[in-house]
Amino acid sequence: MTQTIAAFDEDLLKKLTIITNEGIKNAAVGFSGMIGRKIEVSSPRLELIPLLTIPKVIGGLEDDAVGVYLRFEGDMFGQIMMIIPYQKGLELADLLMGVAEGTTQTLGQLERSALGELGNLCSSFFLNSIAKTIGASFRPSPPAVMVDMVGAILDIVVATAGGVNEHVLLVHTNFMDGPRCVETDFWVIPDMKALDLLLKKKTDA
Amino acid sequence: MNNTITLGLGEQAVSRAQEDVLVAYGLGSCLGISMIDPVNHVAGLLHAVLPEKVNGLIHEDASTDSKFVDLGIESLLSAMLNGGANRGRIIVRMVGGANMLIAPGLTSTFDIGTRNIEKARFTFQRLNMKIAAEDVGGHTGRTVRVYVAEGRVTVRVIGQKEHDI
Repeated sequence: MTQTIAAFDEDLLKKLTIITNEGIKNAAVGFSGMIGRKIEVSSPRLELIPLLTIPKVIGGLEDDAVGVYLRFEGDMFGQIMMIIPYQKGLELADLLMGVAEGTTQTLGQLERSALGELGNLCSSFFLNSIAKTIGASFRPSPPAVMVDMVGAILDIVVATAGGVNEHVLLVHTNFMDGPRCVETDFWVIPDMKALDLLLKKKTDA
Repeated sequence: MNNTITLGLGEQAVSRAQEDVLVAYGLGSCLGISMIDPVNHVAGLLHAVLPEKVNGLIHEDASTDSKFVDLGIESLLSAMLNGGANRGRIIVRMVGGANMLIAPGLTSTFDIGTRNIEKARFTFQRLNMKIAAEDVGGHTGRTVRVYVAEGRVTVRVIGQKEHDI
């Protein structure tokens, strides 16, 4: 385990920040293309979080939220979870469905599917950036969308990583459409092999 | 005035203070296990994350026991006894253990919730203790509250009011 913690040193975090920055920007372009309006994105902030402190970072564990989860496999394995506060999920659904703000009141099958597609898009662009950087290839799974308490959604991250990793990566970013701003958190759970690949690339560079 | 004590992942608490309410918010696959001695007014709650320790992957450290269902139950039980509870009177209730991921190909491998529930049932059987009430499984998150004064345990799911179990 010490290897995992050591692997997440400052250099690696910096490198990941650059990769993520590019990935998120690409995701914004893809997102804009999808809804036909220009969406801007803030520079992502990356944090390395000890697994058990995740709830303290997020807070409001009983609050309703939308989670989009997917796994990726190939040269690297890992998982990505995107979490959006419920209210923001409704606003995002409005944006995605091209209806007036405040139209969406509940997240039905169609709205969930649209949000899943957004999570899929963001995650894929993020993954593509990493893939390009280290010359690896991987395939994301179809997204699973859930609407539940923040704590319950985070349990997936904690439970699946808990036996293996002590730390997870948090990517915090904002999607902006004029005055409208949607905060988004991505939790990335890389596996040891993925880190090894990134590390190797780092020492090569 | 209630005094809320929030239990994070892998934490446990035992209280005799009448104003205390022990809470574990938004349990997904995690388990909230409560123990109450209604006569001596001792109540405890455990917020367990995983069924058991995996060999070699996690440091041998007793302070992380509450993270695991089997070790956590034993740890909570001894904390209850130290707190003045009578073993024969302890009422056990169990909440959580949902399977949060409903997607093709994902559920079976990652169904930690079900494994947590099974581990808890097995552990209580081994300890020769009965589980008085359960609100477990399914696909929704739950918040569990333990009211020390009344020896009451409540559950709340998204979009609903809390109710006793």
